[in-house]
Amino acid sequence: MKAGVLDEIKGKYGDRATDAPYECSLYSRDLAPVPALLVDPLFNTMPDLVVRPANMEEVAEILRTAWTENIPVTPRAGASTVYFDTVPVKGGVVMDLNLLRGVVRLDEERMTVTVQAGTTWSELDDYLNRRGLTVKSYPSSAPGASIGGWFCMMGYGIGSLKYGSLLSQVRSAEVVLATGEVKVLTKETDPPLSWFAASEGTLGIVTSLELEVRKLTPMKHFLMRIANIPEMTRVLSELKDAPVTPYNLHFADPACMRAMHDLGLIPDDIQDGCILEIDYEGSDRELAQAEDVIRAMAADNITINMLPSEIAAMEWEERFKALRLKRGGPSVLGGEVWLPTDELADYLADINKMSLSYGINLISYGHVVTPKHATVMTMFYADETKTIKYIFNLSLVKKIQDIGYRHQGYPYGVGLWNTPYINRIYSRKQLNELRERKKALDPKSILNPGKVYRSPLLMNPFTFGIGMDVLAGILRAAGRGGR
Amino acid sequence: MSQEHKSWFTTLENEALICGRCGCCRSSCPVYRVIGWESASPRGKISMAKDIYAKGKNVGLSDEFVQRVSQCTLCGACSNICSTGIDTRALWLELRQRIAQSGKSPKAYEGIRNNLLTNKNISTFSNEDRLEWAQDLDEPEVVEPRTGAEVGYFVGCVSSFFPQAAQIPLAIVEIFNEAGVDFTTLGGEEWCCGFPLISSGYPDDAKEFIKHNVDRIKELGVSTLVTSCASCYHVWKHESQAELAGYKLEILHTTEYLARLVEEKRIDLDELDEVVTYHDPCDLGRNSGVYDAPRKIITSIPGVRFVELAHNRSESLCCGGGGNLQSVDPQLAASITQLRVEEIKESGATIVVSSCQQCEQMLSTALRSAGLPVQVMDISQLILEAMG
Repeated sequence: MKAGVLDEIKGKYGDRATDAPYECSLYSRDLAPVPALLVDPLFNTMPDLVVRPANMEEVAEILRTAWTENIPVTPRAGASTVYFDTVPVKGGVVMDLNLLRGVVRLDEERMTVTVQAGTTWSELDDYLNRRGLTVKSYPSSAPGASIGGWFCMMGYGIGSLKYGSLLSQVRSAEVVLATGEVKVLTKETDPPLSWFAASEGTLGIVTSLELEVRKLTPMKHFLMRIANIPEMTRVLSELKDAPVTPYNLHFADPACMRAMHDLGLIPDDIQDGCILEIDYEGSDRELAQAEDVIRAMAADNITINMLPSEIAAMEWEERFKALRLKRGGPSVLGGEVWLPTDELADYLADINKMSLSYGINLISYGHVVTPKHATVMTMFYADETKTIKYIFNLSLVKKIQDIGYRHQGYPYGVGLWNTPYINRIYSRKQLNELRERKKALDPKSILNPGKVYRSPLLMNPFTFGIGMDVLAGILRAAGRGGR
Repeated sequence: MSQEHKSWFTTLENEALICGRCGCCRSSCPVYRVIGWESASPRGKISMAKDIYAKGKNVGLSDEFVQRVSQCTLCGACSNICSTGIDTRALWLELRQRIAQSGKSPKAYEGIRNNLLTNKNISTFSNEDRLEWAQDLDEPEVVEPRTGAEVGYFVGCVSSFFPQAAQIPLAIVEIFNEAGVDFTTLGGEEWCCGFPLISSGYPDDAKEFIKHNVDRIKELGVSTLVTSCASCYHVWKHESQAELAGYKLEILHTTEYLARLVEEKRIDLDELDEVVTYHDPCDLGRNSGVYDAPRKIITSIPGVRFVELAHNRSESLCCGGGGNLQSVDPQLAASITQLRVEEIKESGATIVVSSCQQCEQMLSTALRSAGLPVQVMDISQLILEAMG
C-alpha cells in the first residue's frame, strides 16, 4: 500500500481518518463471527485506513485518489450483513459512510423523499412518521441498516410483498463511481439504476437516493397458530394471493416456536405448531376486507387457532428483534435462502430430515417478500468459543444451502462467504453480464474487491464443496452438530 | 405506571457472545452519534469485551478500551433497542467493575470514589451541611430529622450542596407544606445514594452507603420515601431492596408523589400561559419506567400547552450528564446535550421541564450558551409557579 498517499488522506481528513490498529480492527468484522483460523491465512481484513467522508464531494475525492493509486476501497455503513460485504479482504481504505446522514428533501407532491445513504431505515421512517408519511418497505434490521446498504443488497423485506423491491421504489440515486465521477442514475440512464441494486458496493458508492413514500395508514395485525407445516404453507399461499395483499407475511416453524418458548419469549399455550403473522395496512375499507379474509379462513380451518390481537400487535412491535433467538446460543450459524414459496413446505420437510440426520435443532423462519418468493432463515445454535467444532459446524451451513438449492433456492446475498455458490445464484449468462458491468465501471477492481463476482481460489465451488462435505460427513457419522 | 423490561443479563462473557453485532444500537447511542467511530458504538465496545473476556484472546485492557467504556452515559438507549435483548446497562456496569478491579479505572473515577468515602457526598463540603439550603426557608427547622413522620424526603447531593439546584428542595418543602404533607429528611445523616460509586465500578463501596441510608430510614420509621433525584430514585428502587427486606417502604419519585397530590386536589394549580415540554431523565424514564406521572402534572395545569420532544419516553435522548461522563469527558457530555437542545429548539417550548437535577443543569448550561429563550425547570418548580 502506498503509505504516503494514505498519510495524505489521513492528514486531510484529520480526526475523521485513522490507521490506529484498535479502531481499524473493528472495521475488520461484521455480524459473522468467523474464526481467525479461517480468515487470516486467506484475507487481509485489516484496513490500512478508515476514513469518514461527510458528503458526496469527499467520497468522490477519496475515490479519485484511490483510483489513481490503485488502492482498494471497501464501503461500509450499517455493516449489518453476515457475508463480509463491508469487510475488506485486501486491506486498503474502508470508507465509513455513516456521516452521510439525514433527509435532503421531502417532496410531498411527488411523494418522494431524498435521503443520504448512511441514514438508517428507522431514522428515515421516524422523520416521515412525524409528517404523516412512511416508507413503503424496509429491512427487518431497520434500526441498524442504512438506506444505501439495503439498496446495494437485494432490498427485500417488510412491506416488499405489497410494494415490491426497493429498486422499484427508487426514482433516482446519486452514485460516485470508482473513478470518482459522480452520476445521478435513473431507470433510463447509462448505466441504469438497476445495475447498482444488489451490486453490494462493487460498482460505485451510493451517496443519496430519492425514494417513493406513502401515507402513514392504520394497521391490523393477526397471528395464527397453525398445527403443522403443510397446513401453514397452504394458508400462507392463500393469504399472499388473496384480494387484499398483506403488508407483511411472516412465518416460523415448530422448532422456532419451541426455541422461543424455551427462551421465555412466548406463552406456554402457543409453543406447539407453526406461527403465521399477517400484518395489513391501508384504508379502513381495506382493513375490514382483510379482517373478513382472515376470519373466514380461520372459521373454515380447524388447524388454525387465532391468537389474541394484543399478542399479534406485540409480535409486530418486536419485528426487529428476531435475533433474540441468539440468546439460546450464544452463537448461531445458518443460511438465508431465497426460496420459491411453492417449495417452502418441501424445503422445511427436508430441513427437518437434516435435523434428525445431524442431531441438531434447525430453526426456520422467514418473510414472504414477493408473490412467488420468500426469504427463509434456517439456523442452529453453536458456540464460537469451541473453534474446531465451530469450524465443523460451518459445513452444515452448506448443507442448508444445498437443501435450498434442491428446492430452486439460493443464498440471499453474496458478499465473500457466498461466492462459492455464485453459480447457483446467477446463471452463466447473468454472471457474464455482471462481470462485464464490473469491467466497464471498475476495470481496476478497486471497489470492494473480492466480493460477488468470483470465489477466491481456495473457496472455489469444487474445493469448497468437497471440504464442506467431508466435514459434514464426519458430523453426520458422529450424529452431533450444533453446540 | 411502571413499564420496566425484564433483564436477561447473565454474565459479561455470555452476553458479549450473544451480541449479534447487528448495530441497531448505533443510531440510538448518543456517544456514537457524537464520536462516530465504531469503537464508540455499543456494538464496538461489546465486540472488544468479547475478545478480552469471552474469547480468551491475549489482548489485555488497553487504554483505548478503558476510555471507550467510560465514554457512556448509562442512558440505556442501547438496551432498549438491542435486538438480542442484552441489558447493556448492566453490561457497562459490569465492565466498569472489572476495569476497577484490575486497577485501570480512569483517575476521575478514583477521585469520585475517594471523595465519597471521605465526605459521604459528591461535593467537597462537610456532610453535616446537608440542610444548608433550608436556611432560605421561613422555618428551617421543619426539615430537621424527626421520627414518626409519614414521608421521608431524600434530598440528594446535588440539591443539597449546589446552589443552582437548591431551589428544588425549597419548592418541594413549600408544596409539601401547602398540601399538608407530614414529612421529614435525613438531615446530615443522609449520605450519597451510592449511584456515582456504582457507575464508577465500585458497587461494593456503594453497598455501605445504601445500608447506611436504609438504616436511617428505618430509624425514622417513615412509610414513604420521596426523592427528587432520578439517580437516587433508581438506586432506592433497584439497588436497596436487599437492605430493605422486611421493611415496608413505598419508594416514589417526586413526579409520582406530586402527581398524587395533584390528583387528590391537595394543591391548587392556577393558569399558566406557557408552551411546556418534558425531558425524560434516563434513570427515571427508560431505566425505571416512570413516564406518565410528570406528563399528568404538566397537563393538569390550566393554560399550559404541552408539546413532546421528537424523542420522548422510552426513546428519549440523554442529556449527556449521566454515567459520570462529565468527570471523564466534559466536552463529549456537552456535545451530547447539544443534540437534545436541537430538539428543544424545534419543539417551540418556552419551558422545558425535567425531574433530574443533573439533566436540568446540563440543559440550562447548554440553552444559556445557545442563547435560547427557554427556561429549564424542575417539575416541583413548575408546580410552585402554577400555585402562584
